[in-house]
Amino acid sequence: MNVNRCLPLCLVLALGEAPGPAFAETLIVNSYGGPYESIIEERIIKPFEEKSGIDVVYDAVGSAAQDYAKIKATKGNPGFDVGVMTASQSLQGCKEGLLEKLDAAAIPNLGKLAPRLSEVAGPCGAVHEVQYMSLLYRTDKLTSPPTSWSSLLAPELKGKIILPTFQNIMAVFLLEIMSVARGGDMIDNVGPGFTAMAELARQSIGFEQSSAILESYIKDGTVWAMPFWNGRAQLLIDQGVPVDYVRPKEGTIPLIATLNVPVGAENKQAAMAFIDFFLEKSRQEAWVTGYKVGSARIDIDIPDDARKRQITTEADLKSLKLPDLARVADKLGEWGERWERDVVSQAK
Amino acid sequence: MSTIALAAPAVMPAAPARTSAYVVLAPSCLVLTMFFALPMGVMIGMSFTDGETLAPTFAHYQRFFSDGLSLAGLYRTAMMSILVALSVTVLGYPIAYFLARSRSRWRAVVFALALAPELAGVVLRTYGWLIILEDRGFINDALMNLGLVASPLPLSKNLFAVVVGLTHVVLPFGILSLTTSIQGIDPNLERAAQMLGASRLSVVRHVILPLSVPGIVSSLLISFTMAASAYATPALLGGARFKVLATMIYEQVLFYIDWRFAAVMAVALLVMMLTVSFLGIRYEARRSARRSNREGERS
Repeated sequence: MNVNRCLPLCLVLALGEAPGPAFAETLIVNSYGGPYESIIEERIIKPFEEKSGIDVVYDAVGSAAQDYAKIKATKGNPGFDVGVMTASQSLQGCKEGLLEKLDAAAIPNLGKLAPRLSEVAGPCGAVHEVQYMSLLYRTDKLTSPPTSWSSLLAPELKGKIILPTFQNIMAVFLLEIMSVARGGDMIDNVGPGFTAMAELARQSIGFEQSSAILESYIKDGTVWAMPFWNGRAQLLIDQGVPVDYVRPKEGTIPLIATLNVPVGAENKQAAMAFIDFFLEKSRQEAWVTGYKVGSARIDIDIPDDARKRQITTEADLKSLKLPDLARVADKLGEWGERWERDVVSQAK
Repeated sequence: MSTIALAAPAVMPAAPARTSAYVVLAPSCLVLTMFFALPMGVMIGMSFTDGETLAPTFAHYQRFFSDGLSLAGLYRTAMMSILVALSVTVLGYPIAYFLARSRSRWRAVVFALALAPELAGVVLRTYGWLIILEDRGFINDALMNLGLVASPLPLSKNLFAVVVGLTHVVLPFGILSLTTSIQGIDPNLERAAQMLGASRLSVVRHVILPLSVPGIVSSLLISFTMAASAYATPALLGGARFKVLATMIYEQVLFYIDWRFAAVMAVALLVMMLTVSFLGIRYEARRSARRSNREGERS
């Protein structure tokens, strides 16, 4: 055999057999972009890398729904090890066998979470943050702060409110709250809620799905009040927008965000270590004060002004309305059709 | 000229062996089977199976035809696509004619301008229209500041906005298709008609338009199918009030997580596009056949 032709083959074989450089373990975390990305990088990912020696690759592509669809389409092997989703997706993924069940042996800090919230998310989701649907309003337009969800129907707000589309889970939660407020319930008797939402649709300028677009309306003063996640509402206040938010007297439903591990994840051990780190007391304190959200850990120490506005205590947790998300998921198709017929048709 | 065309070459090239033809076709057939036919088959299969038991069922189709919303979505998709196809072809025709026939130094500029929309992404272009058309947008702001209207005109979140946005997106494809067709018409035919006393308008009406029908059909079909399958523009400019099948499929996949019903909607969209394409192609084939027959009878 010609030496020139043999040499490359020999080199490949030799290098293939030789011990290569030691590479650090790499963990792929999929979550959101925008302010979320910079805060998680600074307050969670960097300290985790320093402590564990594991490299984290942050993948900000896709919403939670898109990520879940990716997990489903790949039968649990979406190419990332940890995903940030919601309790509804955690339940669905667990039911379909797409997400790994998490237990306190691998993630000791799971045991420190409020059981009420952990139960809502099911065995496959680690609750790492809690937001709630607040009533956001313009402080320079409204003479007095609203106290009730029904305030959205006040004559002064005619043409000054906007609603989320049904595909934004806020719409589902608002429907359920209005239903309870008008004598119905959160699952089986939501007729009163649809009646109320039809009235709100007539009062509104229309519907938007994306939170980013929704907030643009209140920022420029087109809209004076709307339902909005309190974490994002707090970020608007911090930006100097003349807005404030309240937890109305009828109560509210939380958006429970979870960390999840797809069944086909390549680095499950590192994923569990990352989740445990995120749920540590000090990291939850850093996250709550950084991203302006609540926590499922009620033992965290945070400044009073943050505690006052977030879900951080046992009393806060008890005040939340927690619908059975699995049953809500089963009803979504039917409610979505009714929403199109009874609610969307009423908007201008 | 005809002598040259009809003269047989001295040595006829040998017909390609059947095996080598298969070898040439194999890679494309393999790619199409793996990435088009197979997923399409899976999707169609899903639409006929139950999500829990995987047993065959027509339940998803029954729902599609009975819930009222899905058929309304199909109707909106068809209306939108027809209007986009007509707008693209009507607006694109004069530009295509100019590009095919003009020797002006502006031809290159017009050509670049006609294709310019393709240089920006579809989402970017659609956001541009949103800024112009929405209630707080440029047009409504201007009209209200001038005191011409008291409240914003409904220019967005409706059929009008989606048709405007999609026409902008699809127009370059229509222009290219029409330009190619018009370029294929012998300019001597126009000159001959004019020399025989036809006005410019008559030439266009009786010579150019009939001969460019293949291009018109092609432009209508391309625009129709591109509009019917478009997602970003209807999603952004149509909003909650104007949902088409593409946006409804997206919702079923991502929000309702009902992939089987999404598959039914996708099948409905596919059938609609195939039907329209089939009718267009058949019309053009029959028209060509009639024309050949007439020419045959004359000769």
